[in-house]
Amino acid sequence: MKKLFTTIVVIGLVHISYGQTYNNFKIDSIVSQQYKPSKTQFMIRGYGHTGLNFTNTEGERESSYVGSAFAPIFLFKHSDRLMFEAELEFGLENNELEIGLEYADVMYVLNKNMTVRAGKFLLPFGTFMERLHPAWINRLPTRPLGFGHDGIAPASGIGVELRGAFDLGGSKLNYAVYSTNGPRLKDGTEEPEEAGMLMFQNFEDNNTSKAFGGRIGLLPFADSSTEIGFSTYSTSKVGAADSNYENVGAFLYAIDFAFIKQIPALGGFIDIKGQYNNSDIDDATYTEVHEDGDEEEYTFDNKSNSLYTQLSYRPTMASSDFMKKLEFVVRYSNLNTPEGAEWEEQSDQYAFGLNYWLTWRSVIKIAYQTTDSVGGHDGGGTTNNFFVHWAIGF
Amino acid sequence: MKTRYKIVLIGLMLLVTGTIIISCASTKDKYTAVTDVEEEFKFEKSGAQLWGEVCNRCHLAPSPADYNDTDWETISLHMKVRANLTEKEIKKIEAFLKSAN
Repeated sequence: MKKLFTTIVVIGLVHISYGQTYNNFKIDSIVSQQYKPSKTQFMIRGYGHTGLNFTNTEGERESSYVGSAFAPIFLFKHSDRLMFEAELEFGLENNELEIGLEYADVMYVLNKNMTVRAGKFLLPFGTFMERLHPAWINRLPTRPLGFGHDGIAPASGIGVELRGAFDLGGSKLNYAVYSTNGPRLKDGTEEPEEAGMLMFQNFEDNNTSKAFGGRIGLLPFADSSTEIGFSTYSTSKVGAADSNYENVGAFLYAIDFAFIKQIPALGGFIDIKGQYNNSDIDDATYTEVHEDGDEEEYTFDNKSNSLYTQLSYRPTMASSDFMKKLEFVVRYSNLNTPEGAEWEEQSDQYAFGLNYWLTWRSVIKIAYQTTDSVGGHDGGGTTNNFFVHWAIGF
Repeated sequence: MKTRYKIVLIGLMLLVTGTIIISCASTKDKYTAVTDVEEEFKFEKSGAQLWGEVCNRCHLAPSPADYNDTDWETISLHMKVRANLTEKEIKKIEAFLKSAN
């Protein structure tokens, strides 16, 4: 037994000492050479969120855990000037997995004031959809009324864009101008209840006319606390070529505002944001088919608008570590769609939130939201929601 | 609508033309060098200051330790374009993040 024990100890010691000599400087330097970072870089970033939703619509109650949305962002940096970026969106809706390509574009830095992008990119129509919509950035679990993929404002487009920023010696000016396929008009053939709406997901242009748009943002103060932006988006044709709606045009504009600053007197960060969207589509005549088969033509003044204003406060100068990580949010949003349209709607929404920031990119959001609507797909009424969500950026 | 479309189109074309002229003309080499006296009184924000001010415009300022230098280079290029930041802002923020991680 003693001999066996001694043999095991000797073998063990030899093994350890051999293992120690394995790490020599010569080999280490070779290994580190192999892992020297290359100029070409690839990263996966993105975000995800999940949560629990409670809904009460005129006494009809629902509650559901909502599926984990997952949005990976792929960044391929070819050089200091050239990059490809793409974002996928995986979401669970209506018991189905929905996959979307949020954007996929190639960008090239022409000079310090100008970058060109081509492909499918987020449109700088205001700031919400381009900069603020990801779940870990958006301070509330929902988007304001009129924003999003089915909103009255464009979220993304396929085309080409020039963008950049100028330092004006304290103040800053940023700009973006672009041309895209533009939206297509829903003429009511497939979805009669949406006749006259614009569909911004126009992957293959339905006519020869392109949409042109742009945004100018001014940051008047040196501390970048305030930004005022004006965006426009215009197209002379939204209908399908050779159809009755081919020459229907659309003109949209947006005004956005942001103020973010740590104010010592208030003991923390104040964040005020807002955006107003306005959409004006040429009037056209649509056809409504009644249950008895009779057809009736109708038209309406095709103007829509939406607005949101949001105030949030983080007591970052509080003495308690717990308090520092809290954030209080309140948001008002409003949506008005055309009177006389099948999708006519006037809605007001108030949302109140309490966030707890686990890290700079991970937040637990608790929110209450109440929406009063007249018209709309659901016929209107009051809907109250309660959310507990967890969002994480990576 | 046609008139407004034309106005927007002409306005955007003028904006693009003007921007191209300004951005191409304003190369660094053609700046008049500031004198020593001007340099002495020139106030420049640090990368740390800009990190606190600029990143917070959309999201909470990131922790420098969460990515390595190479990652910050990739993220900086992405953010410069996404948030339309000036070159000076992003260069200083990137330098700060790489020095503090």
